[in-house]
Amino acid sequence: MPTVEHNGKSFQVDEDGFLLKGMEEWNAEWVDYVKASEGISELTDEHQKVIDALQEYYKKNGIAPMVRILSKTTGYPLKRIYELFPSGPGKGACKMAGLPKPTGCV
Amino acid sequence: MGYNPDKPMEGRLTDLGPPHYEQFMPQVIKDNKGKWLWHEIVQPGVLMHKSETGDEVYTVRVGSARLVTCQFIREVCEIADKHCEGKLRFTTRNNIEFMVDAKDKVQPLLDDLASRGNRFPVGGTGAGVTNIVHTQGWIHCHTPATDASGPVKAVMDELFEYFTSMTLPAQVRIALACCLNMCGAVHASDIAILGIHRKPPMIDHKRITGVCELPLAIASCPTGAVKPAKAEVDGNEIKTVKVTVERCMFCGNCYTMCPAMPLADPDGDGIAILVGGKISNRISAPKFSKLVIPFLPNTPPRWPEVVEAVKTILEAYAKDAKKYERVGEWAERIGWESFFEKCNIPFTEKSIDDYRLAYNTWRTTTQFKFTSHVK
Repeated sequence: MPTVEHNGKSFQVDEDGFLLKGMEEWNAEWVDYVKASEGISELTDEHQKVIDALQEYYKKNGIAPMVRILSKTTGYPLKRIYELFPSGPGKGACKMAGLPKPTGCV
Repeated sequence: MGYNPDKPMEGRLTDLGPPHYEQFMPQVIKDNKGKWLWHEIVQPGVLMHKSETGDEVYTVRVGSARLVTCQFIREVCEIADKHCEGKLRFTTRNNIEFMVDAKDKVQPLLDDLASRGNRFPVGGTGAGVTNIVHTQGWIHCHTPATDASGPVKAVMDELFEYFTSMTLPAQVRIALACCLNMCGAVHASDIAILGIHRKPPMIDHKRITGVCELPLAIASCPTGAVKPAKAEVDGNEIKTVKVTVERCMFCGNCYTMCPAMPLADPDGDGIAILVGGKISNRISAPKFSKLVIPFLPNTPPRWPEVVEAVKTILEAYAKDAKKYERVGEWAERIGWESFFEKCNIPFTEKSIDDYRLAYNTWRTTTQFKFTSHVK
């Protein structure tokens, strides 16, 4: 599996660019590295709020939240989440937050 | 304007939906939409629809492999350009239909199709075997227990005469799915070919932490065989899952949710045959297909055991069923014990339902027939 380097930090990623070790390897450099490929020019507080919500939920429950739960806890409707993360809550926000890649018939 | 990766959202078009179908209609279809009076099957693979305006449209149906190249599509377009004012359609079973607006245009089209070798077999109408609805298999999917395109080709080669003729009691729908996600139509087809596993998942404790949401893997199990557990990896205790093997029926749902639980196995995997499903409401209500052969091995590239089984069932049905009777209606009329006898299929305990609502599938009557069917 490939390793990527960014600002002196290295990350093990899979072919879709998700962190292989999940949040163990996650840090602020990762967010900075991912945002370019996810079409995000500048990281705002709103982005951070979504990432924090995802990580908090994952640490507590061991799964990524359902989209409705993410909307409810952050207060952002799905439309706004897509404006923040153009690839959507799964491919965009979860990747940035260091959560495992979404599975199932996606 | 080309796509600019630095400004991905600039000039982006979205939510346009598919183009409206009317712009692709042949003129005769457009003129007579909603005005059709009756139709007939002129010969296998050729239909004629009559409109109240007096117009006629002749449809020539040809088989396709579903998985096709651009080159093949271009050849199809070339045929449509030559005979059908550049219009054509695909059916819900992935056959191709060429439409012409006069009878004298049919024969040149048929001759042209015939001149292209076996690339465009005409058929698939009426009481025959039409195209097999199938899935990805080893071509593209990561959860299959068998291949799709391979067995479909092998079966259709053997049943080709039924594609180009209309000699069966009713149409026979054959479908294939390469795992029991059952993408497509296997759960409601006259004869269904289904990929199955026979071994439990192997758990990769080293990877599971990073790639898997454990509660999802646990909740994905229909029999409650997946449980949370702890394991030691490189001296560290990690959260993982364990599988109670006696409760596992090898559905593979947990692998769908969790990449660290693969279960494909060359010897364990194979094919089950189900029969008797239908989706129409004609005479009897729609039915689910039922398991009759629990396991046949994967034997690429020609799957002779599977081909043989499908052919045997089809021929027993063709010989015995009444006109208009679908496979499921036939089996229910003669009784399933007679079905197994006539198709010469050994009945196994695997056909006896044991999942939750199983009770209703057992026989709660003294009505049955003695069969001399001992294997």
